[in-house]
Amino acid sequence: MSRVRDGSGEDGRRDRPPWGPYLVSVALAVLVLWAWTGSEVDLGRLAAGGGRIVEFIGRMFPPDLTVLPIVFEASAETIRIAVLGTVGSVILSVILGPLAVRTLMPRFVSAPVIWLLATIRAVPIILVAMLMVGAVGLGPLPGILAIAFHATGMLAKFYAEAIEGVDRAPIDALDSTGASFLQRLRFGVWPQIAPDLVRDTLFRFEMNLRESLILGVVGAGGIGFYIQTYVRAFQYDKVSTLTVVVVMFVLVIELANGAIRRLLR
Amino acid sequence: MSDPAIDIAGLAHRYQGAAAPTLSIARLSILARERVALIGTSGAGKSTLLNLIDGRLRGWTGSANVLGLALQTDRSPPRDHRRRTGFVFQEFALVEQATAFRNVMNGRLGHMPVRRSLFGLYRPADAASVDRALHDVGLDDFAARRAERLSGGQRQRVAIARCLAQQPDLILADEPVASLDPVNARSVLTTLRDAAEQRGAALVISSHQPDLVADYVDRFVALDGGAVVYDGPAAGFDDSRFAAVYGGRPDDSSQVDPT
Repeated sequence: MSRVRDGSGEDGRRDRPPWGPYLVSVALAVLVLWAWTGSEVDLGRLAAGGGRIVEFIGRMFPPDLTVLPIVFEASAETIRIAVLGTVGSVILSVILGPLAVRTLMPRFVSAPVIWLLATIRAVPIILVAMLMVGAVGLGPLPGILAIAFHATGMLAKFYAEAIEGVDRAPIDALDSTGASFLQRLRFGVWPQIAPDLVRDTLFRFEMNLRESLILGVVGAGGIGFYIQTYVRAFQYDKVSTLTVVVVMFVLVIELANGAIRRLLR
Repeated sequence: MSDPAIDIAGLAHRYQGAAAPTLSIARLSILARERVALIGTSGAGKSTLLNLIDGRLRGWTGSANVLGLALQTDRSPPRDHRRRTGFVFQEFALVEQATAFRNVMNGRLGHMPVRRSLFGLYRPADAASVDRALHDVGLDDFAARRAERLSGGQRQRVAIARCLAQQPDLILADEPVASLDPVNARSVLTTLRDAAEQRGAALVISSHQPDLVADYVDRFVALDGGAVVYDGPAAGFDDSRFAAVYGGRPDDSSQVDPT
């Protein structure tokens, strides 16, 4: 920071080379052209396939309702995966979250933990699930492990931020009234972070539910497993039943979450 | 006369890296049951002195006896001492997400068995003193409301009720009326004075409005640059003394009732 900055946006713009916007425009154009030519996209194929697409969609109707019992059992498994995966990530986050609090921990503790959480977030969940399937085999267990691992990257970060937002003044006030250390945690810190923790955990649970829908595609249990099975078997009438259930499933999650939020407000 | 509630000698404190000391007090003694106003400009050391008396200031030298305990510069007083000194914080220092009742109950924490309290199990006697404190500050109807949903004046009253529920032998109030209109200010000062009188507690109020607090205390201690520049009866703090502490009467004295 050797340069003196006056903090005004107008002056900051003067540093920008005048050819900057042109460079960005050209780079964008090159990127789009590269993507287009490389993928051999032929819009003619889309037009020619029009009839096939109609026929394809036609095969989805009428939905085959005989798979409903399987669908409900698979949905229940999806919920179980999301619930247990969330529990796992809450446990991990309760441990890792406080370690990532910069105002509480020395830098040599918080910095690596923050870095670790960022790395976890950067790994796509489907990749985690594939690795877990490889490690422990097919079924709900790899799904639970994948969710627990992946969600911790976000949840522990949220927990750390909740703790960083704690106001010190009321804790000093409790110290002054003669409150012990545990009492200060229970009545000074906990009421300040509890609403955030509940909100963050619910939010992550909703995401976990959505993500566990597709984990089955790589064999990690739940409804996704059957979607993948029926698509491969060209049984599109069954797939359409599954699709409807998934859509309803997501809608119910949204409604339930809205209701819970109103209850907690 | 009774034993002093506060006895300070040869006290010095300066914040790290600061050139001038925040406190430099040769001798200050305040008796039990005495009511004192600490006055002076912002930065005169009023808050620092109150924090010291409350046992929350570190890194000072000298001796400070409060309610019979010699304070240590490097550690908090024990729990059974801390609960005897009540402190009304300038910015209230409430747990905003908790109800007024819960905030006032926090004033009882020093009296409760720790393990029971952690489960929220308080004794009927604790609840009774919380109810009484809320009644004394006129907030009976707001017990169940969260602090963040109360007005500034109401939150100030919750902060005072928390201090009263503590049933302290020494009440310290840091600028308790700085953010209040004159009517509310007078009622807050009355509450503090009555509470101190009923409990036989000493009362130390810091304020930069000497005219306002003069009616509620016996004695003024004026600080300037961390040193005591006036220590005597409130009535003796006349205009020339005022000028010496504040550097002339402020033009805008609308907040201050002339005495």
